[in-house]
Amino acid sequence: MAKPVVKKKYTLTERVYLIEIIKGLGLTFKHFVFNVKASFRPGPHTVPTCWQYPEDRREIAPIFRGAHMLMLDDQGRIKCVGCGMCAKACPAQCITVKRGKVAEGEESKYVGKTYPEEFVVDLTRCIFCGFCEEACPKGAIVLGPEYELAQYTREECQLTKEGLLANYYKAKEEGKLKPPKKPVPVAASAEPVAKKAAAAKKAAPKKVEAQGAEAKGDAKEAKAKEAEAKKAEKEQKSEG
Amino acid sequence: MEVRRPTIEDWDNPGDLVTINIGPSHPAMHGTLRVIAQTDGETIVSAEPEIGYLHRGVEKLGEHLTYHQFIPITDRLNYCSAIANNVSYEMAVEKLMGIKVPEKAQVIRMIMMELARIADHIVCIGILGVDLGAFTPFFYLFIQREEIYEIFEWYNGARLTNTFGRIGGVEADLPEDFEERWRKLLPNLKKAIDETDKLLTHNRIWMDRTIGVTAFSPEDALSWGFTGPCLRACGVKRDLRKDEPYCFYDQVDFEIPVGKHGDVFDRYIVRMIEMEESIKIIDQAIKIYKEFPPDAPLMAKVPKIIKPPVGEVYSAIEAPNGELGFWIKSDGSDKPYRIKIRPPCYMVYQAFPELVQGEMIADLIACLSSLNIIAGELDR
Amino acid sequence: MNWVIAIIKVVFIWTWCLLWATVMTWAERRGSAMIQDRLGPNRAGPFGLFQPIADGIKLFTKEEFRPKTARKILFNLGPILFAIPAFSAYAVIPFGDKIVIGGKEILLQVADVNIGFLYVLAIGALAVYGIVVGGWGSNNKYSILGGLRSTAQLISYEVPWGLALLAAVFVYGTFDLRQIALEQTGTFLGFLPNWGVFKQPLGFLIFTVAAYAEANRVPFDLPEAESEIVAGYHTEYGGMRLGLYLFGEYVNLYTLSALCVTLYFGAWNLPYIDMSKFLGPISYGIASFVVFWLKVMVFLLSFIWVRWTVPRFRYDQVMRLGWKTLIPLALFNLLITALFIQLTV
Repeated sequence: MAKPVVKKKYTLTERVYLIEIIKGLGLTFKHFVFNVKASFRPGPHTVPTCWQYPEDRREIAPIFRGAHMLMLDDQGRIKCVGCGMCAKACPAQCITVKRGKVAEGEESKYVGKTYPEEFVVDLTRCIFCGFCEEACPKGAIVLGPEYELAQYTREECQLTKEGLLANYYKAKEEGKLKPPKKPVPVAASAEPVAKKAAAAKKAAPKKVEAQGAEAKGDAKEAKAKEAEAKKAEKEQKSEG
Repeated sequence: MEVRRPTIEDWDNPGDLVTINIGPSHPAMHGTLRVIAQTDGETIVSAEPEIGYLHRGVEKLGEHLTYHQFIPITDRLNYCSAIANNVSYEMAVEKLMGIKVPEKAQVIRMIMMELARIADHIVCIGILGVDLGAFTPFFYLFIQREEIYEIFEWYNGARLTNTFGRIGGVEADLPEDFEERWRKLLPNLKKAIDETDKLLTHNRIWMDRTIGVTAFSPEDALSWGFTGPCLRACGVKRDLRKDEPYCFYDQVDFEIPVGKHGDVFDRYIVRMIEMEESIKIIDQAIKIYKEFPPDAPLMAKVPKIIKPPVGEVYSAIEAPNGELGFWIKSDGSDKPYRIKIRPPCYMVYQAFPELVQGEMIADLIACLSSLNIIAGELDR
Repeated sequence: MNWVIAIIKVVFIWTWCLLWATVMTWAERRGSAMIQDRLGPNRAGPFGLFQPIADGIKLFTKEEFRPKTARKILFNLGPILFAIPAFSAYAVIPFGDKIVIGGKEILLQVADVNIGFLYVLAIGALAVYGIVVGGWGSNNKYSILGGLRSTAQLISYEVPWGLALLAAVFVYGTFDLRQIALEQTGTFLGFLPNWGVFKQPLGFLIFTVAAYAEANRVPFDLPEAESEIVAGYHTEYGGMRLGLYLFGEYVNLYTLSALCVTLYFGAWNLPYIDMSKFLGPISYGIASFVVFWLKVMVFLLSFIWVRWTVPRFRYDQVMRLGWKTLIPLALFNLLITALFIQLTV
């Protein structure tokens, strides 16, 4: 386990410290001159990288994943139907949705038969992965361009429906609403599951299978929910 | 005269050795690493790393999340190159399910992973410079890293924790201005690498600080389970991109840089050359990418709720730090039964006491930086 | 009357050093930013020039924290021991030629002593006590390591430093710094300015390297190597105690630069031009002061410039460079100088 001994071989220019150091000094001096000149240049960022933050802001991507917002449709109704798909997809479990049934006579106020009575996004838990946005069948919840999320209290970090809508209005005012996402082209047919894996399934012990059955139950529930969401969608279409 | 008050070291320190507690809160300990070093003057007699300060139970978390939901968690492993972690995990699940990822998605993955590799190496080399007292290259490199993050942001809206890709493909096509951005970044990136090289490589102070410091033999490195740049610096030509090619790595042309002594200097040089090779790979991959029609599929047909068949799988890729593997056991449900992550840092860090023994305190810092230990990946 | 002038001079040079020490903290940050493609502090005042004032207010108003296990007396003594030599070293170094006001000739130097040279050496050696006492008194391992590193470094670099200065003394034949400055008028070999650097190029090089080590600047900043031993000897310090260390360091830099200018760069003399011939007595005094100050500034800025270019040495490498390279070189320089003087005189 002896450590290898390394013999240092230096060329003459390396052996004399000064030559390389002077070269380096020349390089840094070039940067210095360039930057001093550039810092007198007008414009938002004077030296290649520095943004004077609160005054000058970097252009953020139109698809930036910031604080959430709830989208409204053309008639100013919340697109959300309270299906809870976002809450289910969230890895950090930061979304709470309480579904409320639309009372009779108020159908015109909502897009579907149900609506989110309560919609809370806990920003202290959120990891901004954007899965809620992908899961939403209505395109109702969207991660917006807002990134200044510091608050003084925990309560302020809970984005309620009002907060979500405020984010929407703000983004709309600034023209920072996301462009519609291009649909991702999907391959025509699903590849067959590998045979090996199928064989492993047979050989698996019973216990694991039992667990699998349980999980299947879960999956059924999920499927049911999905169907519900689809139903809601259909209903909305028929209404439209 | 004041009587010396006994301190805790008096009991557990029998000889003349001084116990120095480096970390977990120390400017050079990369977050939350801790090394308890017994020193004789400045020479390290023994160094005992203590890990776990950033343990978040990532593997256990995986057992409670669905397969898809685990992707954002993998971002938090090696946060310097989140994309490589994402892809590694996705490839493991795809292997488990037998999904064939569309080729265009594979190319996109490859481009993004190489960008992430450059970003990761930039961090490593920059920090190595800072720890050895050369502050300036850090900034030259980090400015370019920022530009790489800009590319990531325009791709899917996040800079550091990208949550890149989905099981069965990628979530979006490359943005239209991707190539333009890359062409704009390329000369600056090359210049930054070149300037770092000029400031450091042939500087005698730098050479004195790095050459022969914590050298390691290839046999030792292999038996400790080294992978990645640390192994290649020791002289072993092992790179999963060449040895077990995935994505399109067998169709692009690139070299694997190999060091000789496995010392800090070799690790630094290997990383420097790897950045340049990555640039080459990206250039070629963009060419491959352009051959696909714009509406070529990006996602394989994957069921909405992923339920892999019962079984287990191990799949690894060459992450910037080395072999990053995911072992997944499925019980047929929509949640993994167990996920085991094989982070490259963990294996490398095990050899740390042996690496630094007999060196000086300053070398311990240099060694740690050159190994590129990322606490998020180490402690998980 | 003389003592009034003396006091005025003392107060003037003291505030002058302090002023430039504070400006140096600004220059250090802005200069490094410009080298590193950043902007640096630019909020307080125009170009961030008031930043040192803000820093000073912060340091003054911060809690004077002392760790429970620190030795009270030593902990308090350390910064003082460091700052006093730093502030008093300038006493014998001139800051200009002379100024004639009302027929009275005033030397721009606090004390024109004929062993000024030895005084600088002795006071310079004192600075190490401040570091060691502070490092020891903090009762922190990093501090002690920093203190020990500093001791070893300062003591080993004192030798080549002293030897390089000795060679300069050979050339000028005097210990009096003012006399040395006065000797550097006219030309050398007919075309070069009669500056010490042309007579003692090797000596100047050794002096510069040793000066960097004496001032604990990169690449010799081991005593406070941030990434290795946190902050070295001032790890446990905060508030104005830390301020004294930092100011002391910059005042030290000013002193070293002034010494370098006096010895090797012709003090207040401009090359090929004799200012005293065409300037009035008062304007000549001011001009000599300004020229001297500008030369010092060049050296001060080079300290910053080097700091942000090169990496740091390792402890043993510093020792090796000091003992195995610089001391033999300095001795060789001494030999050559002595031989040359013997042969030419």
